[in-house]
Amino acid sequence: MNTKRTVGGLVAATLTAAVVAAPAYAHHSFSIFDASQTKTFTGVVTRVNPDANHLQIFFAPMNEARTNVERGPDGKALVWAVEMAGSAASAQQGISVNEFAAGTVFTVSLHPLRSGDPAGAREGALYKCPRKPNAEGVMKSIPPPAGKHCDSVEGSVAIGAGFDPAQQAQQAQQARPSGGSN
Amino acid sequence: MRQVLKNTAIFAAATLLSAVAAGQQIADPGFKSVGRAWPLAADLRDYQITGPTIPVTFENGVLSRGTWDQFIGSAHHGAAPKGVTPLPVDLFTSKDFYKDRELWKDPRYFRCNSPAGIEEAWGANTTATIGDKPPGSAAWGYCDRDYPRAAIVSPYPFKTAEEHYKALLAETTKRGGAHQRPTAKQLEEWTGRYAHPGNTTDAQADWTGRNKSNNPQSYWYRGRHNQIPTILSLLTPEYQTRMVQEAYHAGNTNAPQWPSQYCWPEGFMRRWHEFAVWEWHIIAAPSVVQIVTGVARNFITTIHVDREFKMDGAVPRLGQDVPRWYGETVGFWDGDTLITWTSDIQGWKVHSAFEYSNKMQTIEIYTPNRDRSGKFLGLNHEAIFYDPEALVEPIRIIRNYVKTSGFEEGDPYVFIDCVQTIFPVDGRSTPVSPGTDIQYEVPDMYGRPWAHIWEKYFEEGMERPKGEDIFSFD
Repeated sequence: MNTKRTVGGLVAATLTAAVVAAPAYAHHSFSIFDASQTKTFTGVVTRVNPDANHLQIFFAPMNEARTNVERGPDGKALVWAVEMAGSAASAQQGISVNEFAAGTVFTVSLHPLRSGDPAGAREGALYKCPRKPNAEGVMKSIPPPAGKHCDSVEGSVAIGAGFDPAQQAQQAQQARPSGGSN
Repeated sequence: MRQVLKNTAIFAAATLLSAVAAGQQIADPGFKSVGRAWPLAADLRDYQITGPTIPVTFENGVLSRGTWDQFIGSAHHGAAPKGVTPLPVDLFTSKDFYKDRELWKDPRYFRCNSPAGIEEAWGANTTATIGDKPPGSAAWGYCDRDYPRAAIVSPYPFKTAEEHYKALLAETTKRGGAHQRPTAKQLEEWTGRYAHPGNTTDAQADWTGRNKSNNPQSYWYRGRHNQIPTILSLLTPEYQTRMVQEAYHAGNTNAPQWPSQYCWPEGFMRRWHEFAVWEWHIIAAPSVVQIVTGVARNFITTIHVDREFKMDGAVPRLGQDVPRWYGETVGFWDGDTLITWTSDIQGWKVHSAFEYSNKMQTIEIYTPNRDRSGKFLGLNHEAIFYDPEALVEPIRIIRNYVKTSGFEEGDPYVFIDCVQTIFPVDGRSTPVSPGTDIQYEVPDMYGRPWAHIWEKYFEEGMERPKGEDIFSFD
């Protein structure tokens, strides 16, 4: 499982000022998430919960070869949850039930739960892989090549807050202090 | 200690207000009242936040976490502030906060954290300040920053909400007629959307701690400007214990239990919590005024004009003898000013603040803010809280809502039924995917369910004060 894998743009995104899942609207503490960690997934949407407080996308992470989703010993897909701002605020960014229908392949970075359970808070933009019609003419998401994420695929769409490379470079130089007083 | 800000920059939200309105936090009824619009003992705008925190940025609706170079506080990562001697044990090192009761009076027990600072230690709203060896490496706020208690307690001489309401009613009658209802034009002015006090540009600056000069919107209840012992001094001993328990599990064990995360009721006092209410939507009619609000779109305040409470029960009430999550409210007009009394409230909690009891009652005065030309700008909302079980004396919160539009435009207000997706798993709130099996204990909703979770999972070995009930079901 490639849950810790990152790619260029997404690495940069995680180093920026951390556009977060809008705690200003929060109805729970974001301390349940470990903001010092960021995981990046490419996965398949299983359901979107358009809840007022935090929209959640449930998704099955894809395997490294991008040929299927990761599955447990019982053959069932492993499902993660990523939450973000409320459904109305998310919809303003283009994240909705209709835009992320079941089967959509997308890439997301998240801060995972401290407990290790499979959920996290969204970090930065979402990247939808391009869609093409299949043999029956139905539009289907096309997974990225092995080891790649949607942001590296031509025709992918970035949704939500992105990142500023200049800001990223500046912040990369900011060392976290080891202690001090003033 | 008072920290006067020198920055006098005027921010965008100030342009929404006239120079008159922007310069005041209290209403101007045009006369000296017996029980409303008395001045504040101190202006919150003159005080810097206590910390510790790492501010966020908030632009165009997008929130970004801050970085350590923006840290507001006096020490971090286990260091102590210069000139401050840490206590041998404090909230972040204690194994049993109940035993430390005598230390609760000392801000150092909380490392001079404000209530909000404690809440944000592990990253509740922004970047965590807890340090790399938590919880012992928790940061310090500024020990010399504290909004004065005298500016929090009610200045009025009344002991009860009933006494207060009757005095205002008598005063209004004497002045020319209580129950004088507003004109159709005034009701139209009232009706519409109002910006949350935290949802204006300068108020956001205040929230992030960077600058809050000339901000007419700040109020103390969010807990960014006080030492915790100052807030504890407002409370009775039992409610002091409860607030320290809240602080301990926010700052030490990182097991916050915010009611709305489980779709539990938000509770009456969440109407004053910074980001709980967001904007107001007000519908005003001569005989009834309704305020709907809430980030979760589920708060409703219905003010029944010229109705009277039944006084034959445990608390005044309008309907049946059933405590209500948001109480029941009566009121009367004084022209275009509305004076209300709320009672029959279900006691509950607000995270990072204090619990309140079923005896909570409020007097609230909604006074239009107008510019010099008489143009309606918004509402000054003054609230006085009476709760003899939780509070040692009444307290007051004043805030200003700026009207932004009528209902002719914008997204509709949609009432929301909360759908639970987060559950307590081993005592910690956890988003759980559909189809997942978890062990779940049905909460005792009227028995402080948050406290039960803490006591079950995080207080083993602690010596909690025993109640006096001769029957025990534990």
